[in-house]
Amino acid sequence: MTLQTLTKPWEPMSYGFLDGSAKREIRRKMIKAIAVPGCQMPYASREVPMARGWGTGGLQVSLTLVNPAMRVKVIDQGADDSVNAASIRRFIARVAGTPTTMDTLEADLIQSRHRIPEEVLREDQVLVLQVPNPEPLRPVQPNMSIARQMHADADYGRMWLQLYEQIVRSGRVMQGASYPSLVHGRHVMTPSPIPRWDVPKLHMAKHLTILSAGREKRIFAVPPFTRVEPLVFSDVPYKVEDHAGLTCHRSGTRGFFMNEIPQDDGSSVFEVSDSEWGVKAIRRRDGEEVALGETWYKNGKMPS
Amino acid sequence: MRLQPVPSDFEARCNATFDAVMWALARPGVMRDLPQAGLAQVVEALIDRECAVHCPDEALAMLARRTGAELVAPEAADHVFAETVTPEMPDRLACGSDLHPEDGATLVAGAVFGAGQRVCLTGPGVDGEVIVIIGGLPGDFWQRRARAMRYPMGFEMLLVDGARLIGVPRSTVVEVL
Repeated sequence: MTLQTLTKPWEPMSYGFLDGSAKREIRRKMIKAIAVPGCQMPYASREVPMARGWGTGGLQVSLTLVNPAMRVKVIDQGADDSVNAASIRRFIARVAGTPTTMDTLEADLIQSRHRIPEEVLREDQVLVLQVPNPEPLRPVQPNMSIARQMHADADYGRMWLQLYEQIVRSGRVMQGASYPSLVHGRHVMTPSPIPRWDVPKLHMAKHLTILSAGREKRIFAVPPFTRVEPLVFSDVPYKVEDHAGLTCHRSGTRGFFMNEIPQDDGSSVFEVSDSEWGVKAIRRRDGEEVALGETWYKNGKMPS
Repeated sequence: MRLQPVPSDFEARCNATFDAVMWALARPGVMRDLPQAGLAQVVEALIDRECAVHCPDEALAMLARRTGAELVAPEAADHVFAETVTPEMPDRLACGSDLHPEDGATLVAGAVFGAGQRVCLTGPGVDGEVIVIIGGLPGDFWQRRARAMRYPMGFEMLLVDGARLIGVPRSTVVEVL
């Protein structure tokens, strides 16, 4: 062994910003996360030039996976052009030299904050979801050591109690986003704050979903063809947001998840939340030839 | 002028190796292509001084040692690299605990695809069921594996035949046909 064999050639910067040991650690933890679907795996969560809580978990996974041939799409609440999404996309492109896209169909890697695109993801695509709070049990058990024991025992009685109390108090389940879901019949996970509308898209999906919480240092995954069942009572069926009948006032597209935009007169108009889907619908309306992918929801209904 | 970042050969290889490993475990039983033949590339992509490795093969052990990893007995190892799997190995590997399933080991082993036992895989990542023919493992390996593991405890397997890879995570139920 010589000194030469122990060193590497000088590089101005680690490819993809993260250094080798950070990537290897995330790789090892991703392997375990995929092997035990929905189970939170602790990881080191290195510093990235972004404040924790702004997508650092998702960013670290993306930076570990990228290579110069991988086309990256980043969305924030469905929009490709929000500040958070644009900054993360530009950062990944700058440190990894990756091509970027806004089109879900063209993307190899999709990093997302709080939405799953409306077009069906393929089996070669990876969806990376940013997670603010990875612990579904936190509202019922703030002590994370006890929560870990509850996961180990599959002790989810309090989750059901919480849902029951909501129904008794309000007549319906009040959980809007991060709807607790049972993965592979064993671990309850939070699907990150995606709306209820998006949770059925994870069930037996073709794509790989990796959820990463940078601030909380937890990573978990939903492999393809894995059961993801929202917690419901058999006599109170799971309900998605009532958006099936809404029409986007800009693109005219109908039957997708909408953003409500309040108007001065007290009424509101709606705009499709998946911005690129809206853009493509407008371009098609204007006579351009645009490829629209198959959507999860058809006529506002998720086929079962 | 802005420089376009370019991965080094080492970085590109590790990235491609991990891509194959990740998809192999995400889709158990579906064969993936590794950038090159052998187990060494998996050591490069995953192992560093935070790891405890068991590796009967001398050259591979040297490579693992050079990354800074500790060489330990199979029971204490978080990664095991073995060209041939020994019959007692499933009973000796770390399976983690219910509290910390991530402490289960990763077994990277040589195998032969297309000759040997016909096995049917079901579980997460498998669309219905998938049947693969895997040889080069001890005769009662799959039964021993099933006995040694109680989900979510268990170990992951990355089976390598030349430059081809099949992953069998702990969530996969293996039935010998």
